Amino acid sequence: MDKTVYIRLRHRIQVHPNDVITIDKVALIVGDKELTEKLKKIVIHKVQLSDKNMVVIDVMQVIKAIQKHDSQIEIQALGSNQTIVEILYKKKRLSPLLFCIVWLLLFIGAGLAIMNFHEDVSMQAVHQRIYKIVTGRENDQPLILQIPYSIGLGLGMILFFNHLFKKRINEEPSPLEVEIFNYQLDLDQYVAMNENKENINKNDDDVK
Amino acid sequence: MLSSLILIIIGLSGGLVVGSGFVAFLAVLGIIPRLTQLTKTYQFIHVYEWAIILGTVLVGWASLRNSMLFQSEIWLIPIGLFCGTFIGMLAAALTEVLNVFPILAKRIGLGEKIIVLLMAIVLGKIIGSLFHWMYFVNH
Repeated sequence: MDKTVYIRLRHRIQVHPNDVITIDKVALIVGDKELTEKLKKIVIHKVQLSDKNMVVIDVMQVIKAIQKHDSQIEIQALGSNQTIVEILYKKKRLSPLLFCIVWLLLFIGAGLAIMNFHEDVSMQAVHQRIYKIVTGRENDQPLILQIPYSIGLGLGMILFFNHLFKKRINEEPSPLEVEIFNYQLDLDQYVAMNENKENINKNDDDVK
Repeated sequence: MLSSLILIIIGLSGGLVVGSGFVAFLAVLGIIPRLTQLTKTYQFIHVYEWAIILGTVLVGWASLRNSMLFQSEIWLIPIGLFCGTFIGMLAAALTEVLNVFPILAKRIGLGEKIIVLLMAIVLGKIIGSLFHWMYFVNH
């Protein structure tokens, strides 16, 4: 019987408190059917309160567990070296007051920022200049230019983010979604490096 | 004669630096790729390049030469709208704005409400700008 199994860890999984994490949950496993069925049931980790909300399962942990089960198995590990396990506790409800404060903060902050920008680049003088170039007359407050300008400002931002309230202009991901994805990826990488017990153990060995 | 030659060289080099800097700025913010992506007009990207170049050169020339067109005020409405949209896209593309949202989404746990917060920024920009032009500059 061929005893080679191929495993690939999942990038990220979500579990509930007090769940038991088996190999089936953290990895995809391919090989002899009977063997993989058995291997899938091996317990890697039991979620405890001390885990807080993140656990990292290293590929070495999985390999160790499989070898403990049967040291004859040849394991081919592919893909990422660790799985990030997110433990889902009951979601805290976001208080409407906090939300309103954040909303106002962004609203007023955005307004202040645009005013600072206008002053910084002398936008008023530029608008007076545009008015003079087009009409040939002087106007200290060319509101006919400035009001459409202000509306355009919002339009441009909506266009860039590709969101018209809840409606999307087309189906491609918006830069915001890409940015959130990248941020999550950075966080995952940090967690994988710093919360990984295997890495920490290795450091301790070095000290000795 | 010599002084005019020097001036020509200074002018040309200044223009070269400012022009390449401007293009680099636009390239960093990625507004043109974003617009082509939204409108699915990748094949016209070179035409857009020329739009940027012509716009910069013609308007730069007009503002330096004090040219006047003596046209009706109505032209200013579409011009203002386009100016605003362009600046709006610039403002949205600035990484400061883009970086705030992922952190907000993560820290306060705002998954779906992020569009509402986005609207806070958009409305803040519009109202802030209107306030600036209609009230602030007079006081």
